[in-house]
Amino acid sequence: MKRTVVPMGPQHPVLPEPLVLDLVLEDEKVVDAIPTIGYIHRGLEALVERIEFGEFGYVVERICGICSFMHGMGYAVAMEKIMAVEVPERASWLRLIWAEMSRVHSHLLWLGLGADAFGFENLFMHCWRTREQVLDIFEKTTGGRIIFSVNKIGGVRRDIEDSELAAIVATLQELGAGFAETARIFETDPSIRHRLSGVGVLSREDAHAVDAVGPMARASGIALDTRLTGTHFYDRLDFEPVLETAGDCLARVVVRVREITQSIDLIRQAVERMPKGDGAPIDVKVRGNPTGETFERLEQPRGEVIYYIKANGTKNLERFRARTPTFANIPAMIKLVKGCDLADVPNIIMTIDPCISCTER
Amino acid sequence: MANPFNLPMVGRSLRNLVSRPATRRYPSETRPHFAGTRGTIEFDLDTCVFCGLCVRRCPTLALTCSREDRFFAIEQLRCIACGVCVDACNKDSLHMSVDAPRVHLHTGAAPGAPRPGHQEWHQQQPAGSPPGPGDAAGGPAVAAI
Ligand code: SF4
Ligand code: SF4
Repeated sequence: MKRTVVPMGPQHPVLPEPLVLDLVLEDEKVVDAIPTIGYIHRGLEALVERIEFGEFGYVVERICGICSFMHGMGYAVAMEKIMAVEVPERASWLRLIWAEMSRVHSHLLWLGLGADAFGFENLFMHCWRTREQVLDIFEKTTGGRIIFSVNKIGGVRRDIEDSELAAIVATLQELGAGFAETARIFETDPSIRHRLSGVGVLSREDAHAVDAVGPMARASGIALDTRLTGTHFYDRLDFEPVLETAGDCLARVVVRVREITQSIDLIRQAVERMPKGDGAPIDVKVRGNPTGETFERLEQPRGEVIYYIKANGTKNLERFRARTPTFANIPAMIKLVKGCDLADVPNIIMTIDPCISCTER
Repeated sequence: MANPFNLPMVGRSLRNLVSRPATRRYPSETRPHFAGTRGTIEFDLDTCVFCGLCVRRCPTLALTCSREDRFFAIEQLRCIACGVCVDACNKDSLHMSVDAPRVHLHTGAAPGAPRPGHQEWHQQQPAGSPPGPGDAAGGPAVAAI
């Protein structure tokens, strides 16, 4: 049969960021997809040569506008590991709380974009309206809505008072209760089921074979979550990864819907279990220059991110590298796109939750 | 096949019809900022001792200062509002304000016009001796914002 190539992106109504896929079609069926990345490369990693390690964290945050907190945290934690800095306990708890709040806002943002991709604009507005309340908490506690600049090597830059923490938990729980109705729409609405159920099925074996990470892997039944390793104080919380087994687009939506509720609960647990006391130290002074190399792993909303840092004893690092979750999920996306209908391509792309800015840095 | 009469969105949509909008009537109604919100960098020439601590810490190289020339400059369009310089300054000369006027990109469109977002200050007297009344050198010579 005659083959047609349809270029998709870098500008496309469904894509929030410039991903390019050349779709090879036979009639309406996609037989091959060739991705191109590089449209939004900013060379942030190379800036280590010009910016000193202490301030580079504020650059790392700008890799992505959604996981900005997690990027800043990953860099700070990795540097603390190299420099053997003991971070005050309160700082680690605060990081965990902000990290889980990032997950809530990221998933709400994505659910909105996902709803928009399958043509449910009303639902898109509802998700973003809920997300706005999370951003308000961020602005109140860090001073920024999107870029928080609150991590530094040795701790965090702002404290949250105990009364404020209790208020945040109350606000989030109220938000979670309100979100339950939206969650029910995602899980039960017949038009959504019709559009997503059975579309883009990634089996458990395939997910293993292409090394899917994050909600993508968890929707295929693989309990893969860096939080299970217990680092960054997750061992002090009761945590069970959210799993679905269907592996289709709907399962990926449902995993994220449930992770919002789970993250709100993790924040509640963290606030209950962290030692009380305003005015406890939140940072320590870091002296000297780093030497050595290290890896650090974190569970971002989109999956596992890996940072590599090599330092040579000067003020500038020798190498900084981030392997972001979207990069790991692109092979899975290509696998799903092959063999599907052209009309399902936007939904499949959206349900991996692509963050191209992260991928290309 | 799911039940086509299950319409979970309908109740919500009907409630939205009669409830207040979630958005504000911008620009007549603006969103209030929170107490800790970061904003635009503001500089106070009178207290600065031109030590250069802030300049060394700024991740975007947005600040310039010279002790000999008693000169300080901010490139507002380079600044990413991280607040590191505010923390670094021992003299409390730098602040962040959400009420500062916005930096307009269009400034400087004409030939010879000042660079957009560029602010500079010159102090012609040694620090410590207060500027005399009416002495133009004491006040900030703001080129453009
Ligand atoms: S706020 Fe940050 S980017 Fe802006 S001038 Fe200060 S240190 Fe530089
Ligand atoms: S603003 Fe503060 S840190 Fe910067 S040069 Fe002046 S006194 Fe030093």
